[in-house]
This record gives sequence, C-alpha cells and structure tokens, in this order.
Amino acid sequence: MLLNREESRDRWRIRPDGKDKVTGALSYLTDRSFPGMLHGRVLRSGYPHATILSIDISKAKELSGVHAVLTHEDVPGLNAFGIADPNQPVFCDKLVRYEGDALAAVAAETPTIAEEALGLIEVEYEVLPVIDTPEKALGPDSVPLHPEGNILHETDYRRGDVAEGFKGCVVIVEETYETPRQMHTYLETEGGVFVPEEDGRLTVYAPTQHGYKDRMQLSRILAMPEETIRIISSPIGGSFGGKDELNVQPYGALLSLSSKQPVKIHYSRWESVIAGLKRHPMKVTMKTGADESGKILAHQVTILSDTGAYATLGGAVLNFATEHAIGPYAMAHVEVKGKAVYTNNGVSGEFRGFGGNQVIFALEGQMERLGQKLQIDPWELRKRNLRKRDDLGPLGQRMVPTDGPTQVWEGIQASPIWKEKDQTGENMEPWIKHGVGVAMTMHGSGLGYGIPDPAGGKMRLNEQGKIEVAFGHEEFGQGLVGTLEMLLQDHFQCDKGDMEIIIGDTDRVPSSGSSTASRTTNMVWQALNNMKEPFLKALFKKASLLTGIDAVKFQTGPGGIWLRGESGDFPERPVITYQELAQQGLEDLEFSTEFHYPVTPDPIMGAHYLYTSTAVVAKVEVNLLTGMVKILGLDHSVAAGPVINPMGYLGQIEGGGIMALGFTTMEDAVMVNGHYATKNMDSYLIPTIFDVPETQYVDAIEQLPEGDPFGPRGVGEVGTVAVAPAIVSAIYDATGKWVTKLPVSPEELQSSVEELPMMWKGW
Amino acid sequence: MLEKNNLTVLEEGIDVPLSFRLNGKEINLQVPPSRRLIDILREDLQLTGTKIGCEIGRCGACMVLINGEAFNSCLTMAFQCHEKEVITIEGIEEDKLDFIQQAFLEEGGFQCGYCTPGMIISLKAVMLEKENPSISQLKEGLAGNLCRCTGYGGIHRVLNRLVSDR
Ligand code: FES
Ligand code: FES
Repeated sequence: MLLNREESRDRWRIRPDGKDKVTGALSYLTDRSFPGMLHGRVLRSGYPHATILSIDISKAKELSGVHAVLTHEDVPGLNAFGIADPNQPVFCDKLVRYEGDALAAVAAETPTIAEEALGLIEVEYEVLPVIDTPEKALGPDSVPLHPEGNILHETDYRRGDVAEGFKGCVVIVEETYETPRQMHTYLETEGGVFVPEEDGRLTVYAPTQHGYKDRMQLSRILAMPEETIRIISSPIGGSFGGKDELNVQPYGALLSLSSKQPVKIHYSRWESVIAGLKRHPMKVTMKTGADESGKILAHQVTILSDTGAYATLGGAVLNFATEHAIGPYAMAHVEVKGKAVYTNNGVSGEFRGFGGNQVIFALEGQMERLGQKLQIDPWELRKRNLRKRDDLGPLGQRMVPTDGPTQVWEGIQASPIWKEKDQTGENMEPWIKHGVGVAMTMHGSGLGYGIPDPAGGKMRLNEQGKIEVAFGHEEFGQGLVGTLEMLLQDHFQCDKGDMEIIIGDTDRVPSSGSSTASRTTNMVWQALNNMKEPFLKALFKKASLLTGIDAVKFQTGPGGIWLRGESGDFPERPVITYQELAQQGLEDLEFSTEFHYPVTPDPIMGAHYLYTSTAVVAKVEVNLLTGMVKILGLDHSVAAGPVINPMGYLGQIEGGGIMALGFTTMEDAVMVNGHYATKNMDSYLIPTIFDVPETQYVDAIEQLPEGDPFGPRGVGEVGTVAVAPAIVSAIYDATGKWVTKLPVSPEELQSSVEELPMMWKGW
Repeated sequence: MLEKNNLTVLEEGIDVPLSFRLNGKEINLQVPPSRRLIDILREDLQLTGTKIGCEIGRCGACMVLINGEAFNSCLTMAFQCHEKEVITIEGIEEDKLDFIQQAFLEEGGFQCGYCTPGMIISLKAVMLEKENPSISQLKEGLAGNLCRCTGYGGIHRVLNRLVSDR
C-alpha cells in the first residue's frame, strides 16, 4: 500500500501520547525535579590521550554548596560499563583514552556551583601522542590502548575462492568508500534524575533503550542487587541507538547515593557531543567482478572501522557490517574481512542501521559501476544477481524465506521519480543538473545468532477493570504505545479506555529484551498473540461462572464481555463489564509469555534470520557553480510484512530517510587530533525543513511468503540503509562524478574553472 | 529596572525585580537581569513544556512568544522580558487545542515530540502575524526549528493542512 492518510483510512490514528506532546504537558525524564534536588556535573579530561599523575579534589569539596565530589576511588563495584564488553571506566584512574573520558563528578546545590567545583578539581596529566586514525592504531609503533591491543574485533568470512572467482571475470571494479562520524543528534540530550528512596532503593529516571540492561549495568557499578534499583526510562526525546548504552546513569547514581539526595544531570549539547556515541566511521574497500552477463563471480571486501576509545557495541556493529557487505546478492566467491580498531577518538557505538549504512553505500556503488562497465542497466544487473526466496542468507545461514528483494526491486518502479530516471534536458541553467539514482538492500533484524535476544510480556485484568499489558520496551518517539493500542483493539475490540499500557519501568514490566535492532514491533505482536488465547479463555470462564451463560457465546468488546453476534451495533450493554469482572477477584486473570527472538539454527556469530528489504530512488539537483546538492525527491519501497500502524511506519521511513540524507550530504562530527571540532548544532548540521523533499512516497509491501509465521517486522532502521547510495548514484547521473567519501563534498562537485566558460557559452 | 547603574547590575548578577505577563498571569520575580528566560521558565517556574536542545539558538526547541513574536528563550535574558507578554506552549490554548496542535496530532507531525512545542510556537507566530499565510511563509517560520525524528514529512503535512483548512 502507498502509505498516507487517505489509504490508511481508519488505521491512521492519533497517537495516545500525542495530546501531551503538542501541549507541552508531557514530562520527559529530563524535565523532572524533586525536592532537595542537587545538580550533577562530570569532569572530562579534555585530553584525547594522557596518563593521569594525580587528581586533587580537596578544594572542590570545600566549596560551599557542594555535597559530593567523586572519583574512581568512590566506585563500590565495577568501575566500568559497556553493553557487550564493559571496558569503559566510569572514572579514569590511570589513563585517559579520549577527550570525553570522565575523571570526577560533582553534586551541588546549583548548576553554577557544580560548574565552579569542577574548576577547582586539580588533575595532573602527562600528555601522550594521539592515535587518531585506525591506520595509526594498527601501525607497528603504536602503543596499545587496551590490554588486548588496538583491535577490538575482527571478522573473516569466506566462501569459495575469490582468487579463482576473479579469474573468470570479464570486468572487475575496485573502490574504497569512506563514511562519516554521524551524530545521533536526538533533540533531548542525555540526562535524568536519580532518587535515593527511604527504603534504601534507588530510582533512576533516565532514558535508555533497555531498562533491564541499565539495571544490570548499574548494579555491577554500585554493587547493589538489581532488585534494589528501579529504572524508569520512558518517554524519551529521541535515541536512534545513541541512548542504549549508559551515559549519565553511573554518575547520577553514584552522586545521589553519596549525597543521599536526588541528583539531576542533563548534558549540555557540547557535553553530549564530546561524551556521546557516534556512528562508526568506516573505510570499506570492495573488489567485485562479474562475467559478461553481469553475474557476480567474486566479491572481496575489507572493512576498517574506527570504534574510538571503548568497546560498547563496536564488535557487533562490525559483525553486522560484514554480513550486510554481501547483501541481497547471490555470489559464489566471497571474502569479507573486517577490523574494528581502538583509537583516541570519540566512542563509536550503536546507531540506527548498525553498520549496514556504511557497507551498503559501498556495495551499491559497486553494482552501479559494474553495470556501467558492462553496459548493462545497473538495476537489471542487480536483478540478475538477486537471491531467491529460499536461498541461504549472506553468511550462508538458513534464514526465513523472503521475496523482499524482488518485491522492492519491482515496487520502487512505481515511484513518480523512477519514471524520470531516463529523462534529461529540462529547461534549466546549464550549471544546474538533475539526476536520478536507485539503490536497494536487505536488512537483518534482531540481534543475530549467538547473542541472547529474549522477549516477553504480561497481560492481565487489573484492579480498575482494564486490560493491562506490560512490556519492558521503550517509547522514544517511534510510536510503540500507539502500535500497542492498535494491536489491543484488534484483539479485543475494546475501547481505548478499557486498556492500560505499561512500559519503561523495571518495577512494573517484565524483561522483554531491548528496544533496538528493529525488533520491538515483531516481539510485541508475537507476545500478544501468545497471551491472547489463555487470557480470553480465563476471562470467559470467569464471566460464565458469574453470569451462568455458556462461555462459547462470549466475545470481548467496548466496556466488557458481549454476547456473540451482538457486535457490530452493540445494542445495549455488555453482559458483564470489565469492572464487574475485576470486582469479583483477579486471580487467574494474569498471563505472561517469554520467548526468544527467532534465530537461525546455523551457528554463525551474528547472522540474522529475519530480514526486511528496501529500495530507494532519489532525485537530486546539483549546482555546478557551488557544488551544492539539493534532494528533490526520495521515495521508498519497503517489504516488512503487514503494516500495523501506518502513521508510525511512514514516520519511521520518512525520518530514517532524512537522517540518511544528512549522513550523505552534510553530517560529520569532525575530529581534529582527537578533539571534536563540531561542538554544537551551529557546526554539526542536520537537515532543516529546507533541505528535504516535501513528500516521500513510501510503498509498503505487506505480502509475505505463504505460511510465514512471523508477521509484521520492525521498520526502525530499514529506511536509513539504502539512501546514501541512491543519492550518490543520482549525483553521478547529474554530474558524471562518483562520490566515494561521505558526506558529499561540494568542492568535488564544483566545475573546474576551465569548464565554466563552456557552460556560459552553452547557455 | 535597569535605569541606573545598568552595567553594575549586569556584571554583578545582582537580583532585580522582573515583572512580565506569562500565559496571561502577572509574574513578579527577583532575578539577575541576565538570567536566561529558558532557565526562568524551566527551573524557576517549572514550566517544562519549553524544551532545551542547544542553548545557542539553533534548534528552536526553546521557542516562546514575546509580544506575539517567536524568540529563542535560550538567547533571551530576563531584562528583555520586562513588562512584556510571554506565551509558552502551555499558554497557547487553555481549554481546547489550537488548530495548529490539532493538525500536528492528525497529520503525524511529531514522533518523540521534543521539538514539537517549539514548532508550534514558531507557526503560531506566523499565524499571528499573517492572516492567511502561504506554505512558504509557514515554512520560513520553521527555518530555526530542527526535528530529528520526522524528516519533516509529517510537518509538511501539517503546513498543507494549516493552509487548506483556513
Ligand atoms: S535551546 Fe534555544 S535554540 Fe536550541
Ligand atoms: S519529533 Fe523528535 S525531534 Fe521532532
């Protein structure tokens, strides 16, 4: 279906959290305050690489209004964090590995006093040479930044024999592609409030994409049992992967426990830039060869990923990149080698698309180049290489059958922009050029083989007579709550007022795994399916006992249980209301489910089982005088199973598309010698309303292969992954120049001085 | 305020009386004249509908109306509000939703919602200034408002709605 309001009809619904968002009534976690609340600040090294000789906090402690000053000596448990590998110190003790490294934290009565106290902390450093590129880090005389050296993780995937494969090729293209250090730029910076409770527990109000994981990490740091920590983690002012890892939490928690008062920390944008995660900059070299029919015979890839100072999810991101460097294409001889390398740069980590965006830019560039060299339409060339429904996955793993790649390959051709693909010569000034480009890919969801990826939920009738569901998932804007509301209405035909949805509070929700990796929609859909039958059975049984009516005659509806056949116009009232049922006791009306995200049976680390597909067509305008690129159109065809919530789905693709437009044309958190040069939103630019096409046509292909039991897939990431290569191909179409380094540099696209007079003449 | 010794007062950050109308109510405070309006709103008065995203006037999350015009409250100091009429997102409409707010709801003009109060204020300012603004005038009004979630798709739908519904 074409996703828009008209086509969606009654499924285009106002979000349940909408009213509070448009009136400003919604209290984000960084908006909250508590009586006696102190303000926390973190001291950052400012040096990308240095040995710490001494830290003196005595003066800061004496400042009036200061309630706590903490360093590494004050961490009761593990002085480190990291989702996959906890190797980032909460507070550095001996060595500083990037300019955002924390040395101390202060809680004071006002932000100004806290800031002043930071200035009174005296640290002596011995500054060390900065390792600011992966190449330097791998060099022979580079010092190891971590005990294991400078390589966080390596991948090496092979099948067939690439050397042999290349021998049979009539054409081989080889290119190196580079991608930027993109910043998530959630509008709400990291922050939260930390409240020590009277019973000795700690309540954390701070955004994350996985409350239970934060609880586990904090329990390790604080040496407190997990049950004594409560994480309240939604609503969130944007995350995109960036708030999945701990950020303010260790500092806020330690300061509040030490001062025995609530402590708030809310990063300034500059602190968010310096301390926050970014997308891994990658250098991807691909050598790809094909026979004269365009059939790819050999594909050889190296990936060099700058993971920055600490691990977080750098290893998993590299695994994902390795898998997606092969993509939806069937190729006999493949070799992909990747390295994620430590440097003294800012920490790279999880970011929407998870390593896919970088390698797909490269892979799709290869497809275009091969097509040109062979004089085969590159889109046709892709078709000749596309995987079939039941083929093995990119890493040779069994995966859920999908026609997605073929569906989107065809689907995108319905876009109005596609139709302009071969048109040229609009009436324009000679230095204005238009071009159209296309790209496609397949994107894995879930965490992949070998990584625990549990899911679960709870359903019950609660004391107020509402159908209550609870999930350990988060609302960062994607529309989870709206999707849940729609699914519940589909299941129970009840009113909005008959349900209660609980998320984002570890005291009230079960563990459901993370809200990442495009997994949430699919997991809540499965969980509700699992719980619905037993819940209804129990509900009807109870209603039958209370009313004496045979349970087979029942169905749920607005306000309560109705007699079958009465639905549609619901003549009078339910035979028994949910409240009446609740008043008669709630025992036996509570259900839960626990299961695992579907995973491939083949033991290949990180390999994915469920895939979605996307194709993107972009139309650009390039001004050869300035080199500036304007994106005139960006349309998508997405195959991700049935659409539950069209407004949410459309929003994810539109928003993901523009985030990727930024990645392609303007965004880069520039680092110079280990220091961020882009300190705020005046120098780190993200797209404004003037940089984007007014409408993106999004065609959602809902049809799944027959018998597919997995239902709707998540679409949180797939809208971002194939945009860059489509735009770059459109730029080539317009200018004849191949961009290999993102973001696109206008200087590269400007016509040379010699070319300009020709243009004027032509005009 | 600030008639005599303006400089001394500013430099030393001495509290001075500040009075302005905020969402229709008279407010009297004692604050340093250079205290930022955003801090007065979010911290002193606990009106957190006005958001904070960059503190340098680039993101627009902090927009408020001062005498009907949109201003970045992160760049506005207390003395600049003296005896003015300030309206924040909380004061846009009392009982029912403003039709700009309604359009955001119906068109999916937001996701995380953090940019939304600022967007609505900026559009309100255009609406107050022009009776029948065009799409491009409305868009111009959002030149200083960033949204990271929506890609502006839903916001474009809002603009179309505002023009067609008038
Ligand atoms: S906080 Fe004022 S413009 Fe960003
Ligand atoms: S809705 Fe999240 S920034 Fe606009």
